[in-house]
Amino acid sequence: MPSSLTPAVLAELQRIVGDRGLITAVNQLQTYECDGLTAFRVLPSAVLLPESTGQVQQILRLCHRERIPFVARGSGTGLSGGALPTEGCLVITFSRMNRILAVDLANQQITVQPGVINSNVTAAVSPHGYFYAPDPSSQTVCTIGGNIAENAGGAHCLKYGFTVTHVLEMTVVLPNGDLVTLGAKTPNAPGYDLAGVFIGSEGTLGIATEMTLRIMRKPETVQVILAAFNTIQAAAQSVSDVIASGQLPAAMEIMDRLSIEAAEISVHPNYPSCEALLLIELDGPEAEVNLQMQTVTDICRGNGAWETRLAIDEQDRFLIWKGRKAAFAAAGRLSPNYIVQDGVIPRTSLPAVLEKLNAMAVAENLRVTNVFHAGDGNLHPIVLYNRENPGEEERAIDLSLRILDVCVEAGGSITGEHGVGREKQCSMSYMFSDPDLETMQRVRHAFDPLDLSNPEKLFPTPRICGERSRGAYAPHPLETSGIAEVF
Amino acid sequence: MSVSVAWPHHLTDQLASLVGPEHLRIDSETALTISPANTAQVSGILAFAHEHRLSVCPHGAGTKQTWGQGKTPSIFLSLARLNRVIEHPWQDLTCTVQAGCNWAALQQTLAAHGQFVALDPLFEDRATVGGVVSANDSGALRHRYGSLRDLVIGMTLVLADGTIARAGGKVVKNVAGYDLCKLMTGSLGTLAIITEVNFRLHSLPRHTRHFTVAAPKASLLAGLVASIRASHLLTQSLQLRSSASGCFLGIRLNAHPQAEQEEILAQMTRAENLELAECGEELWGTRDSLFAPEATVLRISTPPDQVCAFVDELQLSYTDLEVHTIAQAFGLCDVALHGAPEIITDAIRRLRADADTTVAVLQLGPGVEAPAFEIAAPVLSLMQAVKHKFDPESLLGPGKFFREA
Ligand SMILES: Cc1cc2nc3c(=O)[nH]c(=O)nc-3n(C[C@H](O)[C@H](O)[C@H](O)COP(=O)(O)OP(=O)(O)OC[C@H]3O[C@@H](n4cnc5c(N)ncnc54)[C@H](O)[C@@H]3O)c2cc1C
Repeated sequence: MPSSLTPAVLAELQRIVGDRGLITAVNQLQTYECDGLTAFRVLPSAVLLPESTGQVQQILRLCHRERIPFVARGSGTGLSGGALPTEGCLVITFSRMNRILAVDLANQQITVQPGVINSNVTAAVSPHGYFYAPDPSSQTVCTIGGNIAENAGGAHCLKYGFTVTHVLEMTVVLPNGDLVTLGAKTPNAPGYDLAGVFIGSEGTLGIATEMTLRIMRKPETVQVILAAFNTIQAAAQSVSDVIASGQLPAAMEIMDRLSIEAAEISVHPNYPSCEALLLIELDGPEAEVNLQMQTVTDICRGNGAWETRLAIDEQDRFLIWKGRKAAFAAAGRLSPNYIVQDGVIPRTSLPAVLEKLNAMAVAENLRVTNVFHAGDGNLHPIVLYNRENPGEEERAIDLSLRILDVCVEAGGSITGEHGVGREKQCSMSYMFSDPDLETMQRVRHAFDPLDLSNPEKLFPTPRICGERSRGAYAPHPLETSGIAEVF
Repeated sequence: MSVSVAWPHHLTDQLASLVGPEHLRIDSETALTISPANTAQVSGILAFAHEHRLSVCPHGAGTKQTWGQGKTPSIFLSLARLNRVIEHPWQDLTCTVQAGCNWAALQQTLAAHGQFVALDPLFEDRATVGGVVSANDSGALRHRYGSLRDLVIGMTLVLADGTIARAGGKVVKNVAGYDLCKLMTGSLGTLAIITEVNFRLHSLPRHTRHFTVAAPKASLLAGLVASIRASHLLTQSLQLRSSASGCFLGIRLNAHPQAEQEEILAQMTRAENLELAECGEELWGTRDSLFAPEATVLRISTPPDQVCAFVDELQLSYTDLEVHTIAQAFGLCDVALHGAPEIITDAIRRLRADADTTVAVLQLGPGVEAPAFEIAAPVLSLMQAVKHKFDPESLLGPGKFFREA
């Protein structure tokens, strides 16, 4: 047990959260030693389950006084090690703060606690014809607190935006225990948009204990089309053509042969057997959707889709989405171990980048399957491997990080929705220059001068990145040419 | 703290050498305007200002310089020469543009491929990209497309000490690191100077139709506004204009003609015993007209379901004032007040006493006294901490947000 957690401190913590709110038994602590990135594990010193904002405040004040690092945790479904404990830290989790506090239909808002499960938000307003738009594939298990920390996306953020678009106001406990309200229930909170910075900060700026979210009117009609192609390139071209035609579908997803097969084995969505499956969802007023669907279908056929299937009724759509949303878990049917990556590239470079990734996988003799949010160029390459084969895990991790390098080189990003966490912090210096990262650190230190809130995440550190550096940041060719012209 | 003294020659000479003497203009004993050609020169100027403790305000077209009620700085840093659209990869629906680019010129370039930045800020003909973003301005299109925080995906910044940093990127979906673009948007040039902005774009709407519904009072329109907000209509904007002579609700639909949404709208209007008229865009009125030189202009946030009642209250409770309001149904009202300065000062105080509304003062009429913003103490000190990390000497946008600076 680390020195900072003295019996006196433990007793004080216990007074704050009560017996049922404190976990110290090693066998119980093991539940909290990792998140969805299971390759990394650290046992926390203790786990706390507060019941109120006031308790969180007291905990953080104590942490501040005793200089104890803390890591917030929702459901632990994060895929980048965001909720991975730090040596000697407290884990603060929100399973006892899971209430919906208020629903305000007239203003299209809902106020919840951080432990509320994402799909329960929609469930609360669905009878009134509303929904909560951000829909990560993990939505039946992940929490709103975790979504805010990661700025979670989902298939439908192509049209509806990410978590940050849908959070109006948050109550936040700062790392020194102070309480602030970030954002507002009405538009344009005065001053700096600190809510905008907090969302997506991966638990490094404090803890959100209450949040007001925007809810939206359910669309009148929803239609999904499945189109089967012989090549990923043809499917990707269709995506670009749909966008170029001026349509903004609710979602556009591509799955490759391996992931189609995996989905088929695990949830039987009855997909056509093909090299590339494109799934496009359109929503809106019925007449409008019918017209758009005609255009979309023509585009797919024009690019060589040999089968197109339209799903209009809810049952069919549900099955199609079930297959897609099960894709990560289904990878387990293909291989004992796998790593899900989350790179983003400009949509138009999809065909070229995919070709490159293929070649890299072949050269490494590893299988990589792909499911992705094609509409916004967000790739989820899944590297399949077997931990039992000596050296294979290292090669798989290395390949998955090299895939991110390729995304950066294409002008994209190392993460579109899963966050940097522990997994990708060494890739940050490949995407950003030192001054870029130092500028972010200024924000960090304004919120958390002592580095107590989820320390050693997100930013590259010499200790962690010493040997694993992705190489120095190199400006994008476009940037160099642009600047060369300007200077 | 910045110094404000008459310009010694050696300083102006050094500044001139950074950009060329023809790009430096002495405005007064204590103020000058300098026009760098690129991000590197902006960095050079800020490093110089930092070394000599000189305060700096970025300057676009000057349409919103008074927002935030800052002090006159030693240096106005004009972005006028950074005026290019750097790239428009239209198949990716993004663009990169320099901060000094004229807003309308940007939109014209993007329109060549049927795209636009989905925002209708004030003074579109004059305003610059950097100014619009720094002021976080938005108009009626926000109803459909969101505000700048949903549209800006990347930036190039120069910090107070001359550090050049990039934030965000060129792709729409990106959660790598903190989103500094959000922090810069609306910061009124007090944290860093924006030299380039990357936007996500939208396709220009193809089937826009404009309608109005008139009523003597906004409350008579409240039912219609609520039912439109709760409906499936593809509403692009929903805006209320009100003055002593009455109210007009402007409704912009953007749906394919075959969807026949205007029919649905007409029925909804009839159900409220109101009359729907199709109109041209010009009948919408522009928010620019609120900013007459003598006017005091406020931007007031209210809960969406109270907009109509609030607009009426403005007309009825302040009978000594001439009140013009252009309100967006999502809860943002731009209000121009004309009248005796003490009455306006008092009106702002009363409006600020109401917990449901937030008042930003965009423009002060002569003799009117009111701070630009009111920010609650706990979050204000956090903002101050951020400001201190970015600009420890308080040289950028002096006096804005934090009056003691
Ligand atoms: C099968 C599967 C599919 C997925 N699909 C998607 C997807 O489509 N889109 C997507 O975006 N993500 C997806 N994810 C990733 C993950 O579900 C999201 O990142 C989710 O937001 C994490 O929520 P959580 O409650 O599990 O948070 P955790 O994993 O417990 O924590 C995530 C981060 O949030 C911080 N945190 C938690 N609560 C708080 C709080 N109250 N205040 C401050 N910080 C807090 C933690 O410290 C940590 O850094 C998927 C994961 C899985 C396993």
